[in-house]
Amino acid sequence: MVSTSELKDKAAWVRRRTFEMVISAGSGHLGGSFSSTDILVALYYGGVLEHDPSNPGWDRRGRLIASKGHSSLGLYPILADRGYFPLADLETFNDAGSTLGGHPDTRTPGIETVTGSLGHGLGIGAGLALGAKRNGQSSRTYVLIGDGESQEGAIWESAMFAAQHKLSGLTVIVDNNGVSATDHTANTINVEPVVDKWTAAGWDSRPVDGHSFDELLKAFEGEGTSDRPKAVIANTVKGKGVSFMEDTAAFHHGLPSGDQIELARAELS
Amino acid sequence: MPAYTDIRDALFEELFELALNDRFIMLLSGDQGAFSIKKFQDSIPDQYINVGVAEQNMISVAAGLAMTGHKVVVYGIIPFATIRCLEQIKIDLCSQNLPVTIAGVGAGYAYATDGPTHHAVHDMALMRVMPGMQVWNPSDHTMIASIVPQLVNDPGPKYIRLDKGAFPDLYADSGDDFSEGLTVLRKGKDLMIVATGIMVHRALEVAESLSAAGIDTGVTDLYRVKPFDEDVLRKAVAGSNRVATLEENSIVGGIGTVVGEVMAEAGMGIPLRRLGIADVFRWELGGRDPLQARDGLDASTLIDNLTNWTNDGAHVN
Repeated sequence: MVSTSELKDKAAWVRRRTFEMVISAGSGHLGGSFSSTDILVALYYGGVLEHDPSNPGWDRRGRLIASKGHSSLGLYPILADRGYFPLADLETFNDAGSTLGGHPDTRTPGIETVTGSLGHGLGIGAGLALGAKRNGQSSRTYVLIGDGESQEGAIWESAMFAAQHKLSGLTVIVDNNGVSATDHTANTINVEPVVDKWTAAGWDSRPVDGHSFDELLKAFEGEGTSDRPKAVIANTVKGKGVSFMEDTAAFHHGLPSGDQIELARAELS
Repeated sequence: MPAYTDIRDALFEELFELALNDRFIMLLSGDQGAFSIKKFQDSIPDQYINVGVAEQNMISVAAGLAMTGHKVVVYGIIPFATIRCLEQIKIDLCSQNLPVTIAGVGAGYAYATDGPTHHAVHDMALMRVMPGMQVWNPSDHTMIASIVPQLVNDPGPKYIRLDKGAFPDLYADSGDDFSEGLTVLRKGKDLMIVATGIMVHRALEVAESLSAAGIDTGVTDLYRVKPFDEDVLRKAVAGSNRVATLEENSIVGGIGTVVGEVMAEAGMGIPLRRLGIADVFRWELGGRDPLQARDGLDASTLIDNLTNWTNDGAHVN
């Protein structure tokens, strides 16, 4: 079992690699990647996701659908570090000939589906969970969505469908950072109370501190109630890890510049 | 092959027979019924899901099922099974080339009095621009029943546009495998009508009348709009002095556009007339026949227009 301090170190490394990829490419979504970094590290290093990097097509693997596709930035260093592709490939982010773009696609080993258009991943995850159940496979499907993404109506079609079909092999993780592309979600369409909404939709829903590995791993443990899909509402901070990037829409797709770059590097080190 | 009393049954009965021996075949319905769907519910309920009134989720779930080895047919009224969930079709199905068939019911003005929300006149254009999507607009039961195995088992996404009710069988005992995408049903030196869907039947009626009046008129059934074999189309129209396209579909982006593109790029120099539904919303009630007539798609107006045109006269509609 990986210790909490090791997970923290890994998350710090992921944020640094993510940051350098974006600075080097001059483009990328840092805010939402940083808010979801700890969630992804918990899944891939905390013994949660059953997977085999040497066999990405293993039919009994657990699957992560990065429905908020712009968070793929944080996923790339993790997939490389776990062995899906060489770490050196991270240097090619957004380059001609690379498969590592601003949103993920299935050309990259370890990426399960094409995302980038918000609101699709939960329905796909529901189909995967239903398909695995029909195939007699116990593997779990995890879908990472955002609170901004939760403004998409399709999310709630899929939420009700998964509850209707008792897809207990499905976990949604809401990266509830409170900020979308240009504003706080409370100022556009307030998605709170998030935990209650998922409970009302028929899910086993619980809040966690999305930057606490202890809370995340405890929430991911076990099947939950046997006849409901599981919703882990991860309360997070957009831009987590760099003080001036936190809780603001400015770095959803915006980049630090000038002195900010060294300031960020110092805070991430 | 049994004689089907509703064109939808040709699809679902054949699908049912395949599904009995293949548990990976799944049918998802967006809360739409058809007589033969009841067989799925009664005999293989594990392979049928009414997903409710949620078409975006229906497409995404179909994608997820396909990613776990399933072959999925989704079913709904055309505007809702295509345009409502176009983004899911584009990304979830087409960008991943997943084996999902969208069976849309209610071609053209089939749901006439239900109004423009239910008129299916934009689907051919929109499905045609989805990369990798096969687009079928069949004209009879035999054709539908014949292509079901390939719809289900071939890789990639497909769209099949279904009418409602019964129509004369054009291909019974023809042995046609429908691999070319179009069939020349009759030749015509003066005029070739390239039609699709139920308008093929109208075209045959019109061609009979025109030919009797001395305008030698042929009919080509263009039933697969994509992928499209340009050579086969060029050959089909090359021997005619004029070409008209006929569809119960918007004049924008349907087979008129397809045929026009091919003929223009080939520099064929054959005059083309596109006959279809005007680029407007049709609010008129009264049924399918009056709506078709409003757009000049009734036999009498078609005969007048095509007669005038071949005599270089005016278009009356």
